[in-house]
Amino acid sequence: MDLSFLTVQVLSALRQAAFLFLISSGLTLIFGVLNILNFAHGALYMLGAYFVYALTLHLTGPAGFLIAILAAPLGVALIATVIETGLLRRIYMQEEIYQLLLTYALVLIIDDLAKIVFGPEFKSIPKPEMLSGSVTLFGGTVPVYTLLVVVLAPAVALLLWYLLYKTKTGKVVRATSSDREMADALGINMSALFTLVFAFGAVLAGLGGALAGPVRTVFPGVGTEVIIESFVVVVIGGLGNLWGALVGSILIGSLETIGIIVFPEFEMALIYLLMVAVLVVRPWGLFGRPLKIKALSEKNLAMEAQEISPVHFTVHPAVRWAPLLLLLLVPLFAGRFYQYLLTQIFVASLMAIAFNLLLGTTGLLSFGQAAFFGVGAYTVGLLLTKAGFGTLPALVLSPVVAAAVAGIIGFFCVRLSGVHFAMLTLAFGQLIFAVVFKWYGFTGGDNGIQGIRVNPIPFGGMGALDLGSTQAMYYFVLVVVGLSVELLRRIRSSPFGATLKAIRENSQRASFLGVNIKLYQWTVFVVAGAFTGLAGGLYALMEKSISPEIIHWSKSAEPVFMTIIGGIYTFAGPAVGAVVYVILNSYLVAWTEKWALVLGLVLLTLVLLLPGGVVGYVNEKARQTLGKLRCIHKWPFSKSATS
Amino acid sequence: MAILEVRNIVKSFGGLRALQDVTLSVEKGEIRAVIGPNGAGKSTLFNVMTGLLAPDSGNVVFDGEQIIGMPPHRIIRKGIGRSFQITNIFPRMSVFENVQVALFSHHGKSRNPLHLARKFTEIGEETIAILEQVGLAGKYDMSASILSHGDQKRLEIAISLASRPKLLMLDEPTAGMSRFESRETVSLLQRISREQGLTLIFTEHDMDIVFAISEKIMVLQQGAVIADGTPAEIKANPEVRKAYLGEEITES
Amino acid sequence: MAFLDLNSINTYYGRSHILFDVSLSIEKGEVVSLIGRNGAGKSTTFRSIIGLTPPQTGEVIFKGERISGLRAFRICRKGVGFVPEDRRCFPDLTVRDNLEVAARREKEVDSPWTVDRIYALFPRLQEREKNLGSQLSGGEQQMLTIARTLMTNPEVLLLDEPSEGLAPLIVSLLADMILRIRKEGVTVLLAEQNLHFCAKVSDRAFVIDKGSVKFAGTMKELLANDEIKEKYLAV
Repeated sequence: MDLSFLTVQVLSALRQAAFLFLISSGLTLIFGVLNILNFAHGALYMLGAYFVYALTLHLTGPAGFLIAILAAPLGVALIATVIETGLLRRIYMQEEIYQLLLTYALVLIIDDLAKIVFGPEFKSIPKPEMLSGSVTLFGGTVPVYTLLVVVLAPAVALLLWYLLYKTKTGKVVRATSSDREMADALGINMSALFTLVFAFGAVLAGLGGALAGPVRTVFPGVGTEVIIESFVVVVIGGLGNLWGALVGSILIGSLETIGIIVFPEFEMALIYLLMVAVLVVRPWGLFGRPLKIKALSEKNLAMEAQEISPVHFTVHPAVRWAPLLLLLLVPLFAGRFYQYLLTQIFVASLMAIAFNLLLGTTGLLSFGQAAFFGVGAYTVGLLLTKAGFGTLPALVLSPVVAAAVAGIIGFFCVRLSGVHFAMLTLAFGQLIFAVVFKWYGFTGGDNGIQGIRVNPIPFGGMGALDLGSTQAMYYFVLVVVGLSVELLRRIRSSPFGATLKAIRENSQRASFLGVNIKLYQWTVFVVAGAFTGLAGGLYALMEKSISPEIIHWSKSAEPVFMTIIGGIYTFAGPAVGAVVYVILNSYLVAWTEKWALVLGLVLLTLVLLLPGGVVGYVNEKARQTLGKLRCIHKWPFSKSATS
Repeated sequence: MAILEVRNIVKSFGGLRALQDVTLSVEKGEIRAVIGPNGAGKSTLFNVMTGLLAPDSGNVVFDGEQIIGMPPHRIIRKGIGRSFQITNIFPRMSVFENVQVALFSHHGKSRNPLHLARKFTEIGEETIAILEQVGLAGKYDMSASILSHGDQKRLEIAISLASRPKLLMLDEPTAGMSRFESRETVSLLQRISREQGLTLIFTEHDMDIVFAISEKIMVLQQGAVIADGTPAEIKANPEVRKAYLGEEITES
Repeated sequence: MAFLDLNSINTYYGRSHILFDVSLSIEKGEVVSLIGRNGAGKSTTFRSIIGLTPPQTGEVIFKGERISGLRAFRICRKGVGFVPEDRRCFPDLTVRDNLEVAARREKEVDSPWTVDRIYALFPRLQEREKNLGSQLSGGEQQMLTIARTLMTNPEVLLLDEPSEGLAPLIVSLLADMILRIRKEGVTVLLAEQNLHFCAKVSDRAFVIDKGSVKFAGTMKELLANDEIKEKYLAV
């Protein structure tokens, strides 16, 4: 290794760190003051790049380029101001999942709008002549633009330090992030400050995008790639901590550069491995502190009426069995397309209901469920194609393997709570994704596994069940999912389920009942993982080909959407959400290219207007009617209590 | 025989000595008040006794067994119940579920994942019985979050009773209650203690209540025990008077 | 009309009723004590005035203007300063920065507080100027929170249990401090449990118990009234 090589690599690592810092510093600043993990931060970065692109179409020459680089972040700030005052402000009192979802809905909307305005293709932004050359440094050839970025980012860091530590507004920002109420009582206008901080964070993201545009390409969705990396940075550094963001950026930037040279296969896995390692040793990140848990009075108690408690109510058997009966009859009058669509819905429902056992029942937001889905699917795929297993044994093993993986991941995750829990599940999920994506020898890498042969299931000499037809597969999946859902319903209605609910409502009180909180959370994590794995196994059987995309984090977002659409505090909600989601997905994709935009708007509307979801709304409004129609029946516990 | 022996507990936070050599002995069936000005160390003492905080030194013996070092959920299983200063219930669960879930834990049924919770009829009856004891049976199906403050406190006591404790620790059981509600709660506590031989330790700022029901009172000030005795002894103690009314300030 | 008036306010935390028809009135330039035991409703009264826990009925009138219903930062900007009992210094800011972030209303008053004037009043704070809020002792933190609120140039200062948990020597120092603040023309409403501390600094007193006012009168009257003292303050 000579000096010239080293110089080039160090500078490349620093350039990567510089971009990461510009984005994650804004992200961590916003989190520190507003307590919101802004998913849309990547989309703001993308807008910064697009604005430079649009401006340089009209402004040419070095001066035009400079103006574009400076003006783009201001445009982004303007959009951020509209987002904060128009949308975010309405949900500061809500639970964190709604804030996360609202910003995620914005990602979908902004991405699609960008596609409409700028087109779906990759754009490259020309650099002015004076910045496109390269210089020789210690014998290595280094682009001038890289030097510019590497010098600019520390300048921004210095400016940030100056603003936060030397100006009154900066001190006010730091004061507010440690004690909002006190700041309020000292005459600080919180609303104005929140808008300012959000807009300023957006300026940093926009600047990152503007500077990165000319060296990386721009396309709709580029923000989502960036945001996950930035999450890794701020979580490693400690949420809300600026020095954490700086150190995290340098760590990740270096690791990526080293990874490309030393382990080109597993470069992506390395950063998630680092994140997992850091969080296991320091759960709040390198410089982070435990977040204050919101007092119960601050939590949103409005949804109390949406949960039809299994302790007090029984659903009339007819209401439960009628849909099943109907579904059994569907193939008699519906064609193969509809059977296939419904099979998809069954699998999605199972995944969503299992997910909601974590979120709705226990209060744990997992952002890594796709990993268990993928483990289940790959278990079936590999056992059938490589190990010559029968269909049924392979399917039975899919929840077992997923449960084992969930057992290991859960062991580390249940030590955390809230956003940190969500981020660690995300990191583990992406780690598994990265390994599957690159391990050509075992998983087939990004090619996935094609042509999975589903052999007939033998019935001990009495013939065999052939799953070759769409209809046979429909019935098979219906039965497996039906049984699983019934099992999940039982779990939720059992003493175990009641205890999980108690943990969700007040984990400290629950521990004073003599309940080992972490053990229960771990157990339910494993159970949810197992059923998600089974859903993955069914998916592999019905699709007959799988690819690593099913493990990507965006797949983990699906059960979150379904649950929010249907209703977080209801049992059937996630299934209803799955119906809506899969149908929207199938039909909108055929009808319009803007399906993400529509989905984003649907989510936005739900978060703002119907946070309890469709089924939650029905439960709340129609409980009495449901009782009168005998759809639900109240359970009498004792004569003395009910008389 | 003493059911609880707290011996020489010392606990510091940074430079602050929150508890300085606190010793306390409570007889079975006794009603004992722990009082003192704000910041005297009452909550810290309770947190040490229930395993939320580890003391720097000293030990706690409950029912003949050393409990320092055990996690809270194990101490609870030994028979110490606790209610909190800030009302601590399961808000979005019904009154019934609040107590039922505590009974599941007490009877070792919490891990049962496949039987319907409502079909445990004996536990259901027991739940109703406890709710009757605290006067909440009529509201059994209401969401705990919409109860009045007094009812929420009573529910909290019901949850604590469900783990069938031998010793119940109550942090300001009547805080935020109306006069009528406090009186009801006090007589409830007295009745439970009498009927079940339950030992009670409580903190309280309402002196009417403290002197009405305690058999013995311990007074803490700045982490140290300044008096420990019968209500009459405490009333006559000049140290205590000074702690509450403040020291005569000599001109400086 | 008085300088600061509370007209039968009722305040709730969630569903629980904390203050029952509390009425107080304070004249300009006075030091008035609000005395009561733990949980009597002193802090809630203060939080009601400053707008952190706004009263549901009744009104708070300051200098002839209704301030109840305004948000806390607006009330502060009208000239009401609040020092909470739990000494919430900003832990990550230095002593000087703690003071600087609070500076406001410099133009509304004749001789605004500056950091230097504060240091003259609290020399100890100058010595610890570069220390972080989290590195101060209890007494220093108490001084800092009072000083920080003074930087907002309040015309009335709400002091919530400043003597709590402080050593007797510091408490006596604190009493001098309050008298000097008063000399600077600031009206003070002091919440306390410590009767003798109140006697040293204030002229008038209200006794509060279980959320309602039980006594209003001069400090002398209160000291002479054994019944009130026994019933609501002593053990």
